[in-house]
Amino acid sequence: MGIKRGGFERKSKASDEIPSSSLADIAFLLLIFFMVTTVFRASKDRPIEWAAAEASEKIDEKREDILHVWVERNGEIWVNDRVITMTTLSNIVAPLYAASDRRLVISLRADTDVPYQYVDQVQKELQEANVIRVVFATVLERRMTRERR
Amino acid sequence: MAVLQNKKSKVSDEVPTSSMADIAFLLLIFFLVTTTFPKDSGLAVVLPEPGEEAQVSQRNILHLSILPSGLVDVKRGESTQIQQVRPNDVEAIWRQGVTENPNLIAAVKTHPNAPYKFMVDVLDALQTAGAERISLQILEG
Repeated sequence: MGIKRGGFERKSKASDEIPSSSLADIAFLLLIFFMVTTVFRASKDRPIEWAAAEASEKIDEKREDILHVWVERNGEIWVNDRVITMTTLSNIVAPLYAASDRRLVISLRADTDVPYQYVDQVQKELQEANVIRVVFATVLERRMTRERR
Repeated sequence: MAVLQNKKSKVSDEVPTSSMADIAFLLLIFFLVTTTFPKDSGLAVVLPEPGEEAQVSQRNILHLSILPSGLVDVKRGESTQIQQVRPNDVEAIWRQGVTENPNLIAAVKTHPNAPYKFMVDVLDALQTAGAERISLQILEG
């Protein structure tokens, strides 16, 4: 009964390297997860000329609590990818306001050249629906561009 | 020579997959870093509640009438004097007015046919000057 070899001396069959063959699977899984769960904005942008303002501030609200109301140059009103008539605006906004637990903020996106009367009518419709928090959507204007005008 | 031909090639016949993870993570990190969610920005106002009308003394009102040409008629309180300025000058007018009367309220009246951008310019000037009490109306008559 001779001792063949000391048990301790025997080399372990387990590799001393970190198994990296599954690393790609993990990375792709993460990649696919983020690709699938990313939700882009629900409604498409309308082609408008953006107003610029120096005092523009970021809206500190959740994305789902912001409703975009588009006013095009010809006075058309678009909400959620649909053109609507001015007088139905309050009827459309009111249930959304209630569903949002009164947190809804209107991002009013009007074309720079639309006559103000349309914007005024939109405001009156929103007031009728009790939605009083409105943001006149603008892009940030820098001093430089302002001085050039 | 025959010996050489029999020798197995040392080059592996498998596609090297060890760098796959690096490539995938690189793509993942690239998209994570470059993705910017467009945040809404603009000039925030709070409209008055329906039926809510505040009586304000004429003395405390700065009348700003925006004309279709983009010029702004400025009328201070009770005085009948009208000064015509450009939207950018409203900022200085507000700053001067509010030092004289801290209770000043800006009444922005826009002509129905005036382009929206002029009203935004005036609102921008007022908000840049720190005005908080702004009333938005439509110019009548």
